[in-house]
Amino acid sequence: MTPLSPSHRPFRWRPDQQWEGYLFILPSFAGFLVFIVLAVVMSLGISFSEWGLTGFKNFAGLLNYRQLLRDPVFWQTFWNTAFYIVTIVPLQLALGLIMAVGLNQAIRGVTVYRLIYFMPVVTTIVAGAIVFRLLLATNGPVNNLLAAAFGLLGLPFSAPNWLGSSDFSKWSVVILTLWKNTGFTMVVYLAALQGVPKELYDAAHTDGANAWQRFRNVTLPLISPTTFFLFIFQMIGAFQLFTEPFVMTSGGPANSSLSVVQYIYLAAFRDIRMDKAAAMAWVLFIFIFAFTLFQNRMQKRWVHYESE
Amino acid sequence: MTTLSASPTRMSTPARVGLHALLLFFSTIMLAPFAVMFVVSLLPNTAFLARDFSPANFSLNNYIRTFEAVPFGRYYLNSVVVSVSVTTVQILISSLAAFAFARLRFRGREAIFLFYLATLMIPFPVTLIPNFLIIKNFGWYDTYLALIVPGLFSVFSTFLLRQYYRGIPLDFDEAARMDGASSLRIWWQIIVPLSGPVLATLAIFVFQGVWNDFLWPLVVTTSENMRTIPVGLAAFVGQYSTAWDLLMAGSVIALLPVLVIYVLGQKWFVQGIALSGMGGR
Amino acid sequence: MKLKRTLLLGALLLVSVLILSACTGIAPQAAAPSAGGEQVAAGEPVTITWAFWGSPEEAASHKIVADAFMAEHPEIKIEIWNQPWNDYFTKIQALWASGDSKVIPDVAFLWPTPRYAAEGVLENLDPFIEASGYDLNDYWPGLLESAKYEGSVYGFPRDIEVNVIYYNKDMFDAAGVAYPTDDWTWDDFLAAAEALTQKDANGMTTVYALAAEGGKWAKWVNQNNGAILDDYVNPSKCMLTDPASVGGVQFFADLMDQGYAMRPADLSQAGGDAAVFSSGQAAMILQNTSRVSAFNAAGMNYDVVPPPIPADGKRHNGAGGAAWVMSSGSDNKDAAWTFIQWLQSDGGGETIYTERGEIFPALQSVANSPAFMTDQPPANKQGIITEAAASDVGNFGYFPEWGELDGSIIGPGLEKIWAGEIDPETGLADICAQVDQFLADNGYPK
Repeated sequence: MTPLSPSHRPFRWRPDQQWEGYLFILPSFAGFLVFIVLAVVMSLGISFSEWGLTGFKNFAGLLNYRQLLRDPVFWQTFWNTAFYIVTIVPLQLALGLIMAVGLNQAIRGVTVYRLIYFMPVVTTIVAGAIVFRLLLATNGPVNNLLAAAFGLLGLPFSAPNWLGSSDFSKWSVVILTLWKNTGFTMVVYLAALQGVPKELYDAAHTDGANAWQRFRNVTLPLISPTTFFLFIFQMIGAFQLFTEPFVMTSGGPANSSLSVVQYIYLAAFRDIRMDKAAAMAWVLFIFIFAFTLFQNRMQKRWVHYESE
Repeated sequence: MTTLSASPTRMSTPARVGLHALLLFFSTIMLAPFAVMFVVSLLPNTAFLARDFSPANFSLNNYIRTFEAVPFGRYYLNSVVVSVSVTTVQILISSLAAFAFARLRFRGREAIFLFYLATLMIPFPVTLIPNFLIIKNFGWYDTYLALIVPGLFSVFSTFLLRQYYRGIPLDFDEAARMDGASSLRIWWQIIVPLSGPVLATLAIFVFQGVWNDFLWPLVVTTSENMRTIPVGLAAFVGQYSTAWDLLMAGSVIALLPVLVIYVLGQKWFVQGIALSGMGGR
Repeated sequence: MKLKRTLLLGALLLVSVLILSACTGIAPQAAAPSAGGEQVAAGEPVTITWAFWGSPEEAASHKIVADAFMAEHPEIKIEIWNQPWNDYFTKIQALWASGDSKVIPDVAFLWPTPRYAAEGVLENLDPFIEASGYDLNDYWPGLLESAKYEGSVYGFPRDIEVNVIYYNKDMFDAAGVAYPTDDWTWDDFLAAAEALTQKDANGMTTVYALAAEGGKWAKWVNQNNGAILDDYVNPSKCMLTDPASVGGVQFFADLMDQGYAMRPADLSQAGGDAAVFSSGQAAMILQNTSRVSAFNAAGMNYDVVPPPIPADGKRHNGAGGAAWVMSSGSDNKDAAWTFIQWLQSDGGGETIYTERGEIFPALQSVANSPAFMTDQPPANKQGIITEAAASDVGNFGYFPEWGELDGSIIGPGLEKIWAGEIDPETGLADICAQVDQFLADNGYPK
């Protein structure tokens, strides 16, 4: 990312473009000031106040944050969210990469496969969640299939309660998210794979490397910047999961699938605790920021950038 | 995106069969939910629960009942109005600002842009509550303004377009300026036409994000008349939690037009989404 | 090329015009539900806004009530503000938050009252009660507690939730079980449940004796002399680890473990208690009186009976119901009081709602009047009154943070027990530890 790299030629201020410049950014900047800058400042303010239905009540200092740190439900939602991250992110990268590598071969029907894999991405997640509620119901098609499969193998089978037990509810959310988002990962990977120069494969081929070695030593390093981008992107997405558990499990049972953002929503709009909700949003931000920073530091170890 | 024929090596026949088997397996998993949705939407609830798939049971009744129970037409109208206006105006506003950040020379430019970039990392939940309060204060709660206006300003779109505009040679501008063209004219007649593909893909990206957005419309609307499709659909779940026949019919109604548009213009959709990847690099 | 650009420009213009017209077309409506007391001129009636939630059928009853009131009180005009239940609370909060007396409803239907009273948006009704001599003793015992905040009355519950057992007479006949009597016990109930439950070869229940929502659990606890909190207004500790409380939860959990009662998660997946009762998947349900009209309309052969009580326990009905409140921001408080008082009187709103089968009345006099004592099923109306007479606090906390405590800690904690994932004793110990922490964090006892 080089947003501030020097321009094409020596940079000089042009007085005649001074007012024009401001005019051009005015619409954007006005909205930016209200809905982003003002909002961020307000959010900080609310998180340090006692803020009720009728607005500001008192200055509260760190009270909201201190309450949060001792709130077991808040930590449970963080634990749930951590579970979502460590399952969804790697599974999605792996599945997306497998699909992309499969589609990057000289075979027929690539366009059709791609069309199909990408279909859930354009689907409204609410509709997806509704169908998965049906698929994963105790007496639903997934359990019917599993029972049949176990029956064929002669194994005992007790139908998992996907949506109604705290052992499985998180997995239900994971399954839905994978179905919905893997197509996206696949498309981004596919674009990256097509950018890998053919000559490098040919060279590896002549050196006697087999397909796996070529993949391991040529492809993976060359697409590592894409992996890094997808990793960060999916991680931030998983941190902010809301609709999937909201529609599918309502966060239950026993808060077992409740995400952080869902808890923020409940605090603000069910419990009328705008102050607590704002504080939670900031803690979430700090977590996301810290993880991204950490990954950014770590990337030197495994992300391979071509020298430009 | 390069053509797909330029792939590394030719495959042997057994390998090809194996690969197709794998790809078909994935296809089945991806398509099964749509298939179930469609089949159940044609059956009465009792027939589905009894797994009775005899042809006599299939009918379009559920669709008629769903349309009677829920104003899906209105949800559609709302979604179209909101998505189209956010997409066009957001891109216009972002393009103007990106043009200034990339090609006009004014004092404070770099500082303001840095300020923009600094906010890119802030997640949506942080601004959710204050923006809800701001909207309420403006008296926009439960109106189109609440659904549209906060979506018009995107740091991401501005950033992306600025990166693109910087790649266009400055000579174009200077030649036009020699001919007496104003900045506005240069933007509209040179830069915008030159960035057609990137604008189109960005438009798809923004459009599909707004179309599928759930949390914000959930928070700022309340009356049935203001619901967008995702929110209307979720409210529908609340009312008919186990009426699978109606729920599936509602889901099909909500999805079908988008899926049709997607299948027709899939190349643009795929590029539009992959664009976010380009933006990150 | 040129044509294309003109087209694009035209399209952009069209869109902007559309947006503008859409915005201006909709925006003014947002401020519409005002029309409040502005036009108060001599001789013209005072207008008050009346807010409630409800389905179209419920709204029809409200409309009849408003018309009846206006016929008796031509000096007051009622404007109706109706929203569906799931939108009502956010929407009314927005009206109060605006602080604009023109849009604030004068009289509103609300639950839970203390939460809103603590925010200062409700009027303390004590002075009005004192001035008019309104009789508070006609309410069922404990009921008014749910509408009090810091010792003052802020609202009047319209109805009281009386949970009774509905039983399917045909299924009792088929199983050869005698119909229950008003004085049956937990042991009687277990014997009946054993006979009514049907299981398949794998031991899976196919027909349940009982379907009860998880939310009904507090009845068993209170019947067994247990409690949720030591004090429901100003709590200092959680009482759910008390052996009596554990016993109540254990009774409910055992019913599920033995396959007699449907697990609440399965019940909601099956479409709720009315659905499974109507379809014969459950022989009994534990529910308030709101199901009566549906079962009567379906022509079911059923009756009701007070829930069984443990051998050395007591009859208990958790007293609570949504209440009529007055906004502190109302600009027509006297008219609002006249209306509330009329709503909550025998011969006024209470009677109309009861006659229409909408509610079980909050006032004892109305319950004992012909408005409730009709010849429609269920036959055992006296059983409902018996249960209502045992009303008391015990199902809810009456302090502002109760909703958060129940929604985030107690409810989810119990879900684990109902799912059979944890035994009641351990589960309740977890819950109590969290409840005590929550109370301390929020400064209780005050």
